[in-house]
Parts: sequence; C-alpha cells; structure tokens
Amino acid sequence: MALEVETLEAGYGPVPVLRGVSIHVADNEAVAIVGANGAGKTTLVRAICGLSQATAGHIRFHGQTITGDAGHRRGEAGIAVVLETRGLFGELTVADNLRLAEHTGRGVKRPQGFRPFTLGDVFELFPIVKEKLATRVELLSGGQQQMVAVARALLLQPRLLVLDELTTGLAPKVVQEILSVLTALRSRGMSLLIVEQSIKLAAAMTDRAYVMSLGRVVHEVGHGEWESTMSNDAISKAYLHG
Amino acid sequence: MNSTLIIQSLMAGLTNSFVYALIGIGIAVIYRGTRIINAMQGDFAVIGGMLTVFGLVSAGLPYVWACALGIAAGAASGLLIDVVCVRPMIRRQADDEAFLLLTIGLAFTISAAVLYIGGREAHLLPGIGGNGTVEIAGAFMSVHAIFLIAISLLVVCGLWLFYRKTIAGLSMIAASVDPDGATSIGINVARMRGYTFVLGGAIGALAGILVTPLISVSYQMGLGLTLKGFAAAILGGLTNPLGAVLGGLVIGLSESLAVVGLSSGYKDVVALTIMLLMMVLMPNGLLGKAGRRGG
Repeated sequence: MALEVETLEAGYGPVPVLRGVSIHVADNEAVAIVGANGAGKTTLVRAICGLSQATAGHIRFHGQTITGDAGHRRGEAGIAVVLETRGLFGELTVADNLRLAEHTGRGVKRPQGFRPFTLGDVFELFPIVKEKLATRVELLSGGQQQMVAVARALLLQPRLLVLDELTTGLAPKVVQEILSVLTALRSRGMSLLIVEQSIKLAAAMTDRAYVMSLGRVVHEVGHGEWESTMSNDAISKAYLHG
Repeated sequence: MNSTLIIQSLMAGLTNSFVYALIGIGIAVIYRGTRIINAMQGDFAVIGGMLTVFGLVSAGLPYVWACALGIAAGAASGLLIDVVCVRPMIRRQADDEAFLLLTIGLAFTISAAVLYIGGREAHLLPGIGGNGTVEIAGAFMSVHAIFLIAISLLVVCGLWLFYRKTIAGLSMIAASVDPDGATSIGINVARMRGYTFVLGGAIGALAGILVTPLISVSYQMGLGLTLKGFAAAILGGLTNPLGAVLGGLVIGLSESLAVVGLSSGYKDVVALTIMLLMMVLMPNGLLGKAGRRGG
C-alpha cells in the first residue's frame, strides 16, 4: 500500500478541521478527494505532506509511519506535492526552481527498478518548461506556472504525487495537456492522490474517490462507480460542485 | 572653494559610504532570508569589533586570527538569536511587528551587555595594511579605507554568486519566499533561517572590524551604525546587497558634500532629507522593483 491514513485529526492551531479521516492509496493507483469548499481537502493534503501537524491518527507511507516526520523529510521519503498555491519561488528562474528539486531528488530513497525522472523527461512532458528555463517564475502565466510546479514535483522522484486543485482557473486546453501528462505518469507506476472540486475532472483522472464534507469522509466512490455517483443527485447536491 | 578640499571630502564620503553599505548589506541579507527587519545589525558590528580587539590586545592573537574570532562571534550571535528567540516566536506564530520589536530590544540588550563586560572605553584597531595613506589627485586616503572598499565590493560579489549559483543560497531565498513550497521540496526552512542569521551576523561583525580602525568601537556605536545602514538598505530596496552599496553611496557622498557646502552640523539633515525624497519618488529603492529581487 502506498499511503494509509487512519483516523487522522488535524487543523490550524487549536481549530480542528479533520475529524477522523481514513483513506488509502494503493501502488500505481489514482485516487481523488472531492468535496465542496471547506470540506477539509487541503488540510488533508497539508497533513499528508507534513505542512500541518496531525493531532491524532496515523499516516503510513509504504508501511513506514511518517505521522510525526518533519515536512521537509516527506519529500525525501518519496511524497511530492503540488500545492493549491503552487509553492513556486516567483523571484527565481524556472531553472533555479527545478534545480532545487533536482538536488533533493538525488537523495530520495528509490525502490529497485525505479527509473528516475530526468530534466529531459520533464521537458518532453512539458516542452514550454524548457523554453522558459531562464524566465522568472512570477512572469509566467497561471498554466505555465502549474506545469513548472508539476515538473518540479517530478524531479523529487516521488512514488506518490499529491496534486491539490491542479486545474482550478486553468484554460481547458491546459487542463487537457495536464490530464495527458497524468496518464503518462501512471504508466510509469506512480501513485496519485488528486484533490479536485470538479467531479467530472476527478472521474477523468482517477480510479476511485473519497467524498469529504466538514472534515470527514462521507462517501466512497469505488472502482467503476464514477458513472453512478455522477448521476446520483443526492450526493452531488449534498457534497459536490459540477 | 578649493577642489582638493572637495576631492578630500568625497574620499572621506566614499569611505563612510562603504561603512554604511556594509551594515546595509547585513540588513538586506537578513531581510531577504527571513523577512525580518533587523534593528540590531549595528550591534553585530560592535560584537565583531570588540571581540577582535579582545583577541588582538588581551589574548595576544595575530591580527588575522583576532579578525576570525570577531567574525565567528558575530556569526555565533546570529545563530544564538535565531535559536533562542526567533524559533520559539515562530512556533508561537508571532506577527512581523513582534520580530522588529525583538531586534530593537536585542539592540539595547547587547549594548548594555557590552557596557557591563567591556566598560565605557572606546577601542581602536590598527588599520589593515598599516596606518599609511595614499595620495589621489592631491587628496589623501588611508590604505585601510581602500581595503575597506575593496573588501565591501568582494562581499557584494560573493553574495551575488552565493545567492545565484549555490544550492544553499537558492534554498535560503526559497525558504523566505515561500516556506511551504520550500518545505514541500525538501528544504529545511528553519535551518535556512539559521544560516541567514549566521551570514548576517558574520557580515555585521566584518563591518565592525573594518570600522574600528576608523571610528573606535564602543558599547554605544551600534545604534548610529544601524540607522545609517538602514538608510542605505532602504534606498537599495531592502533585499539587494548591491542596492545597499548604492544606497550607502547616496548617503555617504551627500553627507560629505553637505560638510563642504554647508557645515558638518547639517550632514545628517542633508543625507536623510535626500533619503526621504528618494523614497517618496522611488518607493522600491534605487534599483526599482526588479532590482529588489537581484543581488
């Protein structure tokens, strides 16, 4: 199992947001977290990536408990995240942003047979990233920044890639481009955990999903259940957008 | 007005410019790496100057080793401040103003500690390269002042390379620009902040060592240096070491011209008025918005 989250509680300071969330992601599986604004999706991502401390529960990554590990150690363990805010360094060039991730990626523990991502690989996935190498990130469009953020995450050589609201605010053409990249990543055996507000996009990107509301998982969408979930008005109206 | 007098005055102004620049560079380094406005940068200079005097005079160390002791003391002070004060404050989610108040408080504390330990006496160090002078266009400049300017320029070039070419420098910028983003790619943000304080402390101490042969070091020297250093750093955009040098030149040279044209009593009024005017007209500093990201 790539990721196991058990009865996780986390929040911001004394304010609890997650109330006993349990999810799992298997090897080479793509799983979505869906739910309306304020459901706790981003807090779950932050807790998994060590940016918010869990107050109760457990997080295991490939069998190792990482609940109390510092945030910067999660990347070394093989978890990469593209944050909702992207987390790029705007005043640095694209090349420098990638260089920093490449440096960390060299120290990541890799399983046998893992083929590391090279700069050439990410340029092949996102040709625009190569073209903009010398440009400061803050001068790029939103879509270009998102591509740099994914490219940077891949250079961390992750076994699990967490994507928080990756497609929000992007043009449909860019969304399609990113979708095709995600398909390519899955063919390389990577596990994906994708937070998405749009259930249609979530269905296009993943095998199954957890529906969150008010800090809890309130529904699970199993393999082959996307169609029935999308046509279920009660679930859509209660917990989802689009 | 005699042209030699003007040249002599400009040379004195040039030397002062680089003194202010060195303090401003330290302020810029700490602001760039932590987003903390450091009101005690001049006190790193006091620590550096005092410890070098101690090493040279009391401990009998060779000049180079005494300087190394002074720089190490500045760096260690920076690290101590980060570990003892800044980290606990960040854990308690302190606001930006709290850090400014912290550094103001530390400035007074260090001044009082130096008074208690070292006494009221002011101390001088011998100049680097001796106490000789060089004649330039009929005016005289001390050899030490030439070393001071050369070392300041080396520090700026070194910082430029460090922040642009090394993983440590890029990581320090990344940690301050977006701490979450930095953490997510494996950068230890707290450690980078510690490194920034060490670097800022070391540069401050170096400034103190270079100033002490010109103006003797004493417990109360810090505040005055901090104020001029601030003026230089602010004019330079607060994040760019090269900007701090340009800011230092504006302050130092306008002071010296005020001394020649008006009287020495007006030098601060003229220099700080020019600073205020430039801030109103160029709110992002001499290098503009893009320049704030450089260096």
